[in-house]
Amino acid sequence: MDLNNKYWKGIEEAEKHPEFVSSKKNEFAEALPLEEVLNATDLDLSSNRRDFLKYFGFSVSAVALAACQKTQVKYAIPYVVNPENVTPGNANYYASTCGGCNTGCGILVKTREGRPIKLDGNELSPISKGALCATGQASILSLYDINRLANPVKNGNENENWGELDKEIIAKLEGIVASGGKITIVTGSSKSPSLAKALEVFKAKYAGTEVVAYDPISYSGILLANEKSFGKRALPSYNFDKADVIVSFGADFLGTWISPVEYTKQWVTKRNPKDGKLSKHYQFESILSLTGSNADVRVPMKESKEGIYLISLYNEIARQMNGSQIPVAQKAELAGNSIEKAAKDLVAASGRSLVVSKSNVTEHQILVNAINLMLGNYGAVIDMNNHSNQSNFIESDFEQFVSNLSSGSVKGVIFMGTNPVYSYHNSSKLVEGLKKASLVVTTSEQKDETSEVAGYICPDSHFLESWGDSEPKKGLISFTQPTISKVFNTRQAIESILIWAGLSAAEADAYTFIKSSYEDIDVWNKSVHDGVIVSATEESATPSFSANVNEAAEKIVSGSSKSDSSELIVYQKVGVKDGNLANNPWLHETPDPISKVCYDNYLSVSKSEAEKNDLKQNDVVNISLGNKKIENIPVLIQPGQATGTYAIALGYGRTQSGKVGKNLGKNAYPLLMVKDGNTLYNYQGSITVEKTGEKYVLAQTQTHHTIEGRDYIREATLEEFKKNPYVRNDHKIDLVTLWQEYDYTTGHKWGMAIDLNACTGCGACIVSCHIENNVPVVGRDEIRLRREMHWMRIDRYYSFYTPEQYLTKEKEIESSESTVYDNIRVVHAPMMCQHCEHAPCETVCPVLATTHSTEGLNQMTYNRCIGTKYCGNNCPYKVRRFNWFRYNDNDNFDNHFNNDLGKMVINPDVTVRTRGVMEKCSFCVQRIQAGKLSAKREGRKVKDGDIKTACATACPSNAIVFGDMNDPESEISKLYKNERSYHMLEEVGIKPSVSYLTKIRNV
Amino acid sequence: MSVIDSAIRPPLVTGDKSYSDVTADICRPLENKPSRLWWIGFIISFSCLMILFATLFWTTWTGIGVWNINKSVMWGWDITNFVFWIGIGHAGTLISAILLLFRQKWRMSINRSAEAMTIFAVLCAAVFPFFHMGRIWVGIYWVFPIPNAFGSLWVNFNSPLLWDVFAISTYFSVSLLFWYLGLIPDIATVRDRATTKVRKFIYNFFSMGWTGSVRTWARYEVVSLILAGISTPLVLSVHTIVSMDFATSVIPGWHTTIFPPYFVAGAIFSGFGMVLTLLLVARKVLNYENYITIGHIEAMAKVVMLTGTMVGLAYITEFFIAWYSGYEYEQAAFLNRMFGPYWWAYWTMMSCNLIAPQVFWFKWARTTPWFVFMLSIVVNVGMWFERFVIIVTSLHRDYLTSSWVMYSASWVEIGIFIGTFGLFFTCFFLFCRFLPIINMAEVKGILKNKE
Repeated sequence: MDLNNKYWKGIEEAEKHPEFVSSKKNEFAEALPLEEVLNATDLDLSSNRRDFLKYFGFSVSAVALAACQKTQVKYAIPYVVNPENVTPGNANYYASTCGGCNTGCGILVKTREGRPIKLDGNELSPISKGALCATGQASILSLYDINRLANPVKNGNENENWGELDKEIIAKLEGIVASGGKITIVTGSSKSPSLAKALEVFKAKYAGTEVVAYDPISYSGILLANEKSFGKRALPSYNFDKADVIVSFGADFLGTWISPVEYTKQWVTKRNPKDGKLSKHYQFESILSLTGSNADVRVPMKESKEGIYLISLYNEIARQMNGSQIPVAQKAELAGNSIEKAAKDLVAASGRSLVVSKSNVTEHQILVNAINLMLGNYGAVIDMNNHSNQSNFIESDFEQFVSNLSSGSVKGVIFMGTNPVYSYHNSSKLVEGLKKASLVVTTSEQKDETSEVAGYICPDSHFLESWGDSEPKKGLISFTQPTISKVFNTRQAIESILIWAGLSAAEADAYTFIKSSYEDIDVWNKSVHDGVIVSATEESATPSFSANVNEAAEKIVSGSSKSDSSELIVYQKVGVKDGNLANNPWLHETPDPISKVCYDNYLSVSKSEAEKNDLKQNDVVNISLGNKKIENIPVLIQPGQATGTYAIALGYGRTQSGKVGKNLGKNAYPLLMVKDGNTLYNYQGSITVEKTGEKYVLAQTQTHHTIEGRDYIREATLEEFKKNPYVRNDHKIDLVTLWQEYDYTTGHKWGMAIDLNACTGCGACIVSCHIENNVPVVGRDEIRLRREMHWMRIDRYYSFYTPEQYLTKEKEIESSESTVYDNIRVVHAPMMCQHCEHAPCETVCPVLATTHSTEGLNQMTYNRCIGTKYCGNNCPYKVRRFNWFRYNDNDNFDNHFNNDLGKMVINPDVTVRTRGVMEKCSFCVQRIQAGKLSAKREGRKVKDGDIKTACATACPSNAIVFGDMNDPESEISKLYKNERSYHMLEEVGIKPSVSYLTKIRNV
Repeated sequence: MSVIDSAIRPPLVTGDKSYSDVTADICRPLENKPSRLWWIGFIISFSCLMILFATLFWTTWTGIGVWNINKSVMWGWDITNFVFWIGIGHAGTLISAILLLFRQKWRMSINRSAEAMTIFAVLCAAVFPFFHMGRIWVGIYWVFPIPNAFGSLWVNFNSPLLWDVFAISTYFSVSLLFWYLGLIPDIATVRDRATTKVRKFIYNFFSMGWTGSVRTWARYEVVSLILAGISTPLVLSVHTIVSMDFATSVIPGWHTTIFPPYFVAGAIFSGFGMVLTLLLVARKVLNYENYITIGHIEAMAKVVMLTGTMVGLAYITEFFIAWYSGYEYEQAAFLNRMFGPYWWAYWTMMSCNLIAPQVFWFKWARTTPWFVFMLSIVVNVGMWFERFVIIVTSLHRDYLTSSWVMYSASWVEIGIFIGTFGLFFTCFFLFCRFLPIINMAEVKGILKNKE
């Protein structure tokens, strides 16, 4: 039915009134009284449209202004007058000398807009040869440490006025001399020609002033032995690169012993099995040191028995070389007749071998000298003529000083860059003595234990703010130049000394003073530019030997205890070393290369001792050694540690330090003792360990220590390698892939190769990466939660191998005999993002925050990341790191990212990541870009070696090689074709861009 | 719909209910003052909901770091709970969609509450993918392919997480529509019985002008069928896609092609477990024994037994394939599940999911409400552990042994989990109070009343 109904509103509509029809066209049926309203006078609507806009504008801006809060104003001021040679955005490099320890490595300081942000090794320096250790890398942060002293301090009160202080100090010094008192200056033992000159100036004014060298770590055993043997109190220069056989008794020369970067550089030259040749490295030691972990043959040995074994080795070599033997009753031998074997190898390589020992007992070192002499190693491998000055510390001088203090004859003491109140074994005696002195001055950069007892603290400038020179070796001067103007009101210690010696401020200026020693301006300019001058070296020769070996041996035999009691080893950890840089979070965050513990020291216990005392990992114990005691120290059971030994690391337990270092771990220095003029680093005697019943979880970055028989770590012996260079590596996996291959026919394709045979695990790369990429420091608790942020790590795996047994499973090793546990083998495997071609992380990100670049990089777009963490889960290498918290400007993470000074170390080329995003190794994409840009600017192609990642730059053993795989001539392309090259987890089909080279052991 | 009197089939609704009885019975909880029991339950649930708000606030304010997940186990309780809740939701869709298509009329008295459960469970599940994001404030919209001003930024269609976004949002919207559509006639009934103006107004609004005419009924039936048709693939697709979060990865223990059917079976299993838990309480408290009969319980128990066995078969297959593949990482992952540090989780899962439901072979076990209730709890526990085992034990020890870690939840993670129970039960209590938990209209259709 159709609807024909019609509806209407009114009769006018129904009838279609013409009036209605016409008005219907209008919007409003009735005329609106617009005119009436607008013209109404009583309303006084005088405003028009323009006024309305004015009012509107005013209201909006008023509201906006009222809503404005006073926000913090951050100044970013451009250069008004641009300094010469500074282009904002471009880095400048200055050669200098590392102040991280006494070694005197030449460094290149990278500065951006006038602030140093990174230290690298100086290739011209014969010591560092372009590399730098973890400690040196990290030492830059001490420059930006808010715990540094901003002003000189007098009796605990800061005083800005240096002049006032100088007057008082000079008056007191003069008073002391006038009253017949003595003044002693305690300096570090490393040799600086200018400082020596300055001290002469000082001595000239204050008659009878004594200069005493003091180092926390002593090598006096070697110094005194060399004095007795060759009439020269000096450390020799070692040439590990000329040694085909190396026998080390506990000397951790790759980690902490004398000059580790130099030695690593040398040692690694003989560690490439390319021609079927590999140096043979024996290590006899108690703790599992970094060097021991890299040795071909590592034999656990009690340090207290070292002398006996040295005699054995001497006799064995003498027997084989038909020389005269030392008459001793019994012949001592270590497991597997290793002394005999070592002797055989040494003799076979005489003149090309090297025996070194960590022992600080003079007699031991005399024997070592005699052995090396017998083998003819002096001249070629050991150079006494071009000796090292890296340590000149003799305990007796310092002991004398302490007793002089106690007797009251020393009235004035100046501590220059030394902190003996912390590191001297009998610190209470020293403190008592210092109370008797009328003037105690220290030049500590920060408040430390020594500055606590000093009347005056005259803060030294950081080495990156200073001029200086040092002579780490004879004929090698290494220069220090400032790379930033002084951050605080500090003064170089050398200037302080000169001013107190009466020089005017202008004369005492460090630059003027040091420069005055170098008359030729060209030499000076070149030296400062290069960082080093190497003057003509003397021909190395065999020195004449004058020590009595039999006498030394007799003393060893009579002094050695027959009992088989436990002993405690006190050692230095890689990174933290002597504890001087205790307030450096980068060092504490870097795991120990062996134990993988961060932040604390611990009682390292061999498995046998742990079983004897029923100790478990993380048990808190009190350990007493005679009348000395360390309380509440956690236990770590260390595979590889010799049966019957305990060990504690030095460098911890600082009572006066900044926030980071204070009360961290336990101080082991009081456990040291001086015997016959040498500090002993092992304690024999009654050791009792009692459990407190508490637990303290050590922050470890790795808690599973074996590869469980998996194939991703490949190792072989040299014999196997000679037979088949592809040994363990001949099962190439060729998987069918469903993914499309990327096209790299043009441009670059970046890749990396890591030589497991070269990597020592020292951790320099970790710190370098940490600095370069602004990786946050997260602290101990976060590491316990397994959330360290390091973009690269070094995995350390234990295994046990004999021709009969090859154990890689944790359960097998744990249930085996303790000899298995003691004779553990180690592999260090650096691990970072592998930049997979078919990256599992890339496919799973819902928002494309991680993608593949045209140059083969797996890149992270932080701004796009929403933090689902799926990529991290799907990464087979577990190298992705998540920002669980905001690590900057957060009081819960009160490190350098939480204050403006500390933030100055941030690399401006790398974003500081925000909370909630994923991050990971970028192959230092900022360096790649910089390298490409400079090549472009110079109108050339990128050369191999132009671009190096931070880890590759730092590596002292050249284990990490980075480069363009599209360049057939590049080192990386060649390494990819190496027989030993393989990809970890190749079978997953993800095509990683990092290749590993099989580890070859010369067993 | 004509009533067929079967000589062998027992009636689906017992107690000889008349139409008015049904209306009165089912509207009673809505019209009476809430009972003491309701208040107690509601207050507890609501307190738990507050825990959810507090812990989520703390997480968002401070950072995901307040959870204990770490560099290797980057998903822990969060995604475990997500999969757990999503799985629970499946029973609702299965009952209302698949059983509708199969003309299983016994579903009629339980589908409403099962669907409600689905919606609440998906809400609980949604908490986790949102709040596990490091930057929820951008992630909440960056995961959608919305045209944006960020240049050419777009989502990654390769990512199973993105598939999740689509799968879950589709699932949620279809489930919600389906549920709401079924509610309309009943809301109209409540409206018609309303005595106060406010009540009338609100129910009137939500009944969308339902008149109960034949025309509306006809359209209602058609739309129901269409939505059931749309929902049916969702029953399979949602958990299939969730399983692909794991199956498409490269992690041993995740990278398993059996996951889609295995996850779907598991989801139905856990969903029925949860339906049983809820309804066994509801029928007792609300005196609905005549609507939710022993027959219903028995039918659901059978489904639980069947799906439990399927899940168990999947466990065993997975294990067999790990051995058969000859792939050492896969083998290690499964051995680690059984005998590694999380062995207790694995064996809890096995005993709760595979072994426990086998008691339903016995009729007594299927027809004894208190026993079925106990078993339903066991099933829920077991299925939570299944997800925990899959996620955590696969991640905590994967390829490189150096990255092997342990993981245990922090109080915040536990709080969030408890909180989602708060959310779930708060919703459920409000649902019981304000909406008819049994579909009156449909139940009236299956009455064998001779009226």
